[in-house]
Parts: sequence; structure tokens; C-alpha cells
Amino acid sequence: MAEQANAASAVMKPKLSIVEEFVAGAKKGFYIGAEMIAPAMVLAYVLILFLDITGLMTIVGRALSPVMAVFGLPGEAIVALVAAFFAKAAGCATAATLYSKGLITAPQATILFPACVTMGTLIGHFVRIVIVSNANKKWHPLLLAIPIVDAVVVMLLTRVVLNVMGLA
Amino acid sequence: MPEQKDAYKVTWKGWLSLLILIVSFSGVFAKTDGPLRALDFQVLTGEFGQVANGIVFTGKGGVGAREGFMFALTLFPTLMFALGCINVAESMGALRAAEKLFRPILRPFMGIPGASGLAFVSSFTSSDVGAVMTKGLVEDKMMTDEERTIFVAFQYAGSAPVTNTFGTGAALLPISVLPVGVIIALICVVKFLGANLVRLYLKWHAAKARAAGGGIDG
Repeated sequence: MAEQANAASAVMKPKLSIVEEFVAGAKKGFYIGAEMIAPAMVLAYVLILFLDITGLMTIVGRALSPVMAVFGLPGEAIVALVAAFFAKAAGCATAATLYSKGLITAPQATILFPACVTMGTLIGHFVRIVIVSNANKKWHPLLLAIPIVDAVVVMLLTRVVLNVMGLA
Repeated sequence: MPEQKDAYKVTWKGWLSLLILIVSFSGVFAKTDGPLRALDFQVLTGEFGQVANGIVFTGKGGVGAREGFMFALTLFPTLMFALGCINVAESMGALRAAEKLFRPILRPFMGIPGASGLAFVSSFTSSDVGAVMTKGLVEDKMMTDEERTIFVAFQYAGSAPVTNTFGTGAALLPISVLPVGVIIALICVVKFLGANLVRLYLKWHAAKARAAGGGIDG
């Protein structure tokens, strides 16, 4: 009996207590913060400041405002989506920066939130998911387009939800 | 293998931890007055103390790299708390419970076999685990190549939505006017939608190929 139990526990990972599990998870959270979020935030804030000082932000914003208006967003919001293309964290951090600078409102930041997560880290996750799962190469371009399509839909969907809930 | 069977058994702890996790992240009790508030994730995340009226330790009016770093510091408690909770729920068998819950709906909703239940559920908290399991499913002939393409479309968009909404989206959590559970739900809706777009496209493509192929093969 005991041997059997030992064999079973050897197959599975060693059993940790709830406290140990929580601490392990919290530690993971700390490292994500230190290794992914903090660098992304520094980058996003520097980028926004750069675009702001050079005046590029106003130009980009003006050029894209008709497109972004479909989603109930100002033209400047595109910066968050471009940043999200490179990394989810950078996209979300950029959206948060736009909010703190008063360029977008809280409901507009909410519209960007699911979109940044949906289409974020497009290339990185292409490798980690599409390549790793060994999906048929024939459909790679199709798969690459899906997160972008989903992001467009989720922005419209979030906008509708905000309107229905009277939060927009 | 007996071990395998044991590993798939869902305990009441698994169901309970899944229920608490969903309730906690959905924000349903955030605005209530009673002790049930104590179950809500945002409520338990709490607030920073103020160093001046309405201003937390990050100060006011900062810009550039320094402000970015200070802002990142404010996200650590949320991240640590969220991932701690997810880890505990996983260890108590929440993933197994979720698998049991979702297994019957995978075929009708996404056209993928019920056997992909564990990979499906795991893909919510880890991009890599889901992808590796999917590869294994096809290699073990439990899933066709076409089903894999549909399933990968699901996993790829908004990959690991639970972990990433809390983790990489941490900066937007305090700003969002919708509870984090709603944000995750919205992402999941479009994930299903995207997978079904691929499903339809593949079906259409196969039908077209059959029509053309039929002509050639005679």
C-alpha cells in the first residue's frame, strides 16, 4: 500500500500545502512583475514621453482618428495596440499611460484592455503556440490573422457592453 | 494505467475551488455590503495608503522611465495575490473540475473532441502547456490535423487569458470600469468566435477542394 502511494506520488509532482502553493504562485507573480511588467512599463512610459515631446503623438492621433472612432476610441489609442503587437504587457502599460495622461478615458481604456490581451505578443505566441503545437503550415497565415480579427471584434463587443451597462 | 485514472478524479475541493475562483474574479460580490465581499478579488487586493490627499506613494505628475517604474511597483501586490490564488486553485483540482465541466461542450461549440478537455482548460492559465498537450493529442491520434488548427486558433488569440489578464494586463486592472471577470469572459467569447471562423473556413475550403477534386478524380 505504502509503496503504491509512493509510486503514485513519484509520478505526480510532490504535494505542497495550500500555503506553499500560494507562496509559490505569489513568487511567480513577483517575477512576472519584475521580469515582464516593470521593463514593459519603463519602455511604454519612455515611448509615450518621446512621442509626446516630438509631437508625433498628435500626428498619429489625427491621422487615425476616423478608424479608431469606429471603436469609440481617439486616434492616439492606436499606440497601445501597436505596442500590444510586440507584447501584451507593453500594450496594457501603454493604454494605462494614455489614461494617466488624460488622452483616453477609463471606459476607453477598458475597451483597449481585452484587445491588448487578445492580439498581444502576436509573434512570440505564434512560436509558443502555433509552432509548438505543430499546426498545419498551410494555415499559418490564417492563424496569424485570427487574433487581430478577434481583437477588432472584442473592442466592438466591449463598447456594446459598456453602453448596455451605462458605463460609457 | 491506474495512476492516470486517479489523477482525473474530481474531488469536491476541486469544484469548490473552481467556484470560489470564478466568483472571486467575476466581481459579483464587489459592491455588496455583507461578509460575502470578502470573497471578491478586487476587494481583497485592497488599497494603497495615501501619502497626501488622494495621492498614493507613486506621487503625482511623474513622467518617463521613473514614473513607469513607480507605476510598475504598484502592480506587484495584485500580481502576487492573483497568481497565488490561481496556483492554490490549480493544486486543489480546479483544472480537473473545469475539464469535467467543459468536456461535453467542446464538440458542439468548437468542433474539437472532448478528449482535448484538459488541454482546453490548461490553455486558460498557460500558453505552453496547452500547446504541448495539443501536439500530443494529434500524435496520439485523438485529434485530427484540422481539429488542431481550430483548437490552435482558439488558444493563440488571447493566449492564457486568465494569467495574462492579471499578469500582463495588471496596469489596466485598477483603471478598467468592468470587473476583471467580465474582461476575461469577453476575451473568451471572441476566442470561441475566432475558432469557429477557422472551423467554418476549413469546412468551406474542404467542400471546395472536394468539388474540384471530384472533377479530376472522375
